[in-house]
Amino acid sequence: MMNERQSHSLQRRLLATMAVGFALLLVLISALLWTYAQAAANRTQDLLLAGAALAILDRVSVRTNGATVDLPNSAMDILSLNPVDRVKYRVFVPGQREITGTRDLPAAGDLTPSIEPVFYDSVYRGSVFRFVLQGRQINTPEGRTWVAVQVGQTVEQRTAQQRSFFTTGLAGLAVLSLIGLGFVWVAIRTSLAPLRQIALDLARREPGDLALVEGVPPREIKGLFDAINGFIIRLRRSRTLTETFIADVAHQTRTSLSAMQGHLSLAADAKDPNQMRTRLIKADRQAQRTVRLTNQLLANAMVIHRSDKASLQPLALKPLVRDILGESLRDSQMRAVSLSFNDDDLAVGTDVIAGDEVSIGEALRNLIENAVRHGPVDNTVMITLASDESRVRLSVEDAGPGIAETDMARATDRFTSLSDYTKGSGLGLSIVKAVAEGHGADLKLGRSSLGGLNVTLIFQRLAVLVLLLAGVLVEPEPAAAQTLLIHSATDPPAMRPLVESFENRNPGVKVNYVEFQTLSLYQSVLQPDTARQPDVVISSAMDLQVDLVNRGLARRIKVTPENAPPDWAVWRSELFGFTFEPAVVVYDRREISSEELPLSHRDLASFVRSNEDRFRGRIGTYNIRQAGIGYLYATQDSLQGPQALRLFEVLGRAGLRTFCCTADMVAAMSNGEIAFVFNAIGSYASHYAAESPYLGLHFFDDYNLVMSRTAFVPKTSTNPVVAAQFIRFLLSEEGQRIISEQTPLLPLLPVANPKSAIEREIENRRGTFLPIRLTPGLLTFLDDLKKQDFLSGWDMSLGYAP
Amino acid sequence: MLLVEDNDELAETIIDRLRAEGHSVDRERDGNEANELLRHFKFDLVLLDVNLPGRSGYDLLRSLRARTDDTPVIILTARSQIDDRVLGLDAGADDYMVKPVDFRELSARCRVLARRRAGSASNIFSAGTLSFDRAAKRATINGQDAQLRAREIQLLEIMLDNIGRMLTKEEVADHLYTFSEAPSMNAVEQIVTRLRRKLDGTPLVIKTARGLGYMAYLADDE
Repeated sequence: MMNERQSHSLQRRLLATMAVGFALLLVLISALLWTYAQAAANRTQDLLLAGAALAILDRVSVRTNGATVDLPNSAMDILSLNPVDRVKYRVFVPGQREITGTRDLPAAGDLTPSIEPVFYDSVYRGSVFRFVLQGRQINTPEGRTWVAVQVGQTVEQRTAQQRSFFTTGLAGLAVLSLIGLGFVWVAIRTSLAPLRQIALDLARREPGDLALVEGVPPREIKGLFDAINGFIIRLRRSRTLTETFIADVAHQTRTSLSAMQGHLSLAADAKDPNQMRTRLIKADRQAQRTVRLTNQLLANAMVIHRSDKASLQPLALKPLVRDILGESLRDSQMRAVSLSFNDDDLAVGTDVIAGDEVSIGEALRNLIENAVRHGPVDNTVMITLASDESRVRLSVEDAGPGIAETDMARATDRFTSLSDYTKGSGLGLSIVKAVAEGHGADLKLGRSSLGGLNVTLIFQRLAVLVLLLAGVLVEPEPAAAQTLLIHSATDPPAMRPLVESFENRNPGVKVNYVEFQTLSLYQSVLQPDTARQPDVVISSAMDLQVDLVNRGLARRIKVTPENAPPDWAVWRSELFGFTFEPAVVVYDRREISSEELPLSHRDLASFVRSNEDRFRGRIGTYNIRQAGIGYLYATQDSLQGPQALRLFEVLGRAGLRTFCCTADMVAAMSNGEIAFVFNAIGSYASHYAAESPYLGLHFFDDYNLVMSRTAFVPKTSTNPVVAAQFIRFLLSEEGQRIISEQTPLLPLLPVANPKSAIEREIENRRGTFLPIRLTPGLLTFLDDLKKQDFLSGWDMSLGYAP
Repeated sequence: MLLVEDNDELAETIIDRLRAEGHSVDRERDGNEANELLRHFKFDLVLLDVNLPGRSGYDLLRSLRARTDDTPVIILTARSQIDDRVLGLDAGADDYMVKPVDFRELSARCRVLARRRAGSASNIFSAGTLSFDRAAKRATINGQDAQLRAREIQLLEIMLDNIGRMLTKEEVADHLYTFSEAPSMNAVEQIVTRLRRKLDGTPLVIKTARGLGYMAYLADDE
């Protein structure tokens, strides 16, 4: 019988070889594919970078104090086509001065700016960026000079794209390889058919059928075919031998039994009691021999049977040997025999082998019995266990007559030993031999120093593996109550219902809410003091929030798709908008009738121009130098076209008044100081309007800007898990419902049954709302030069002296 | 003694042999009946076959021991696998023999068990010229005091309690010395040697199997 564990499938082996071949091919192709994917992904990103760099270079101009740039929104818009990556830019006069942007961007070695864009990868503050460097020569009063633009983007999208190109390509190849392997499989099946034929032939046979396998095999399996037939021939011979053995056994047993029977019959017929006694003593001796013969035959059969079953298990020899010796000593035949056990050369724990307890016990018992039976009454028997690095020796020696050197080789021979039975090497040794073979052990016969036979069994030791289990120490969760620190540029009363509800849902979490102005919040995140860092940062200044996230300060948060905000209100899975707050016109119903309200921004300009005296000094809006939200609305308005700039001029001519905040504007309106407010925050305005009957809210028909309050978790948060939970809560159905029902804020998603007037109004005008998108595009107006330009333009419009 | 054996032929020969040696032997064929019998009568020794009609020898032995009955039991079995031996000794057998049984060996084992029982059950142990009074802690040979020291008396007691059973040197040392005394294996050997010399001429033999331990037996049993 073949050992199952060692068997292997030809088919599998062939398939495996082919599979390895295919795999090698795949590795080769995938290396090429990877390079290609990288080039393709780079090309895509480089196009965007080049576009942005060109757009910026286009706006480089010369002023009295040298080269300057008016950062175009389009540059950031181009870069925003990549929805994931963070953005850096720098405009500078090489070797002389910085114009704007991030000063410490890494230069590309000794690259000098040229008209051709140069692309390279470089690490900036721990992240890999892809940069483009491009220059342009301009004429300044000092002469011609280079102006260089460096634009960079992180490579997350590129990496994802490269991976996606690569996996798609590889998947195709893998499918192709599998199909190829399928063909190989079919081919193998077909060519292995003759083998199955032989298998079928052998499987159908009766156990006794030892005829040769017929047929003409293919060349490749002729060797196997011949080997099988050779084996069958040897099996026939072996069977003949077995038959001889059985005949021999039958002969011995029957002879033995006949002798006994003969002695008994003679005894029964004997007239003389003395004669009868003699016969009976002979019969008794004969019976003892027959018993021993039978015992040994049975033991032999059992040992052979057990060695077939491969029932080997880890077994310590020493306890087994001691047990058997202890048991043997009880036999009264052992009284005069001097039995000793020597384990001086056995190191502790080195006596473990893969063995069968029953078989080894039987072998040892037979060896002792042999020594006792064939030696003198006061025989000395010594059992020795000794071990070295890889083996264990079990020896049984005695001081008996031993076996002559010439007979040693034949002593263990199963088929010839029977004839030597009376001389001393009976079936006993052939049992030992069978046990040795069953254990893969060596059997050595030799002369003992005691004078008799030395039988040694040499077993292979079993290496005892000590598994060192690495103690995994699980650090206990800190038991202290968790505090969530929120730094927020939103009135505490507006957020309180959300905070309380969150605390209720998460027992053990305490929220610490600290209010900031948008700008001071921005600066506190940029330049943290030693106090504890916030876990959540909330602000209405979307541009400042985008800038913070663009600096790589935020942590990524997983949000389930059903709670994910719309595309415009999320960036990089790091910054999330959770409210919907349109800019609105708030007007005093006592001053302006709803019929004369302008329908569009253009109409507003005409309306103010034609009522300049009526509204002089009585129009309010945010002071865009003080209020981040005012600056955001104003800059976004300016992107909508030249009519916005005209509007600012008209408002300026009419003596526009500026305020820090919505509350002040509303207060001024209740006093009758101003007649209407332009670009108030819709949510707050609607809150005040609900309390005051003469406050009216008005949206335009052309467009209405929408701001969203945004939140992110800084990387420095000490409690990021709970912080992420809080943000998920803000976006959840429950959180949005609380925003709608219990706060003056407006929920990000349309509510099913709008209750407040403004919610209904928003629902009616869905199409006119223009949400400000969370993209690097918001960075344009944070550029220092751009901001100065915009603010001075604003001041000019409003008639302030520059 | 009681023989529980279902084969009539074998039972007959065993009974004849044991009766010839002067024992009185009862025989039971069925496991359940034997169990009932053992419930109500006390025997000095039980010879127990394993394969029995009604209830197996092991079950019978287990219920016997469960009743805290410590009657000596020798198991007779036709199977010789080690599992059988372990199973029998685990169930509470005192000894174990494989059929076909050599009658001389069987008688010898019976005598050993009877001796062991007698040795631990009564105060006076006597074998041939040797006599030992447990209560008085005194051994006499031919009526003369054997002049044994305290440790030798202790050793003799241990050996008599375990006649026919092999004791390792460590087991002997554990009996001889209290926990606080540091037992020395050399000292054990010396005590055994001295005791053996003093018992010379009596039937009690203390056999040494080097590397294994000691076993006491009575020479006149042969």
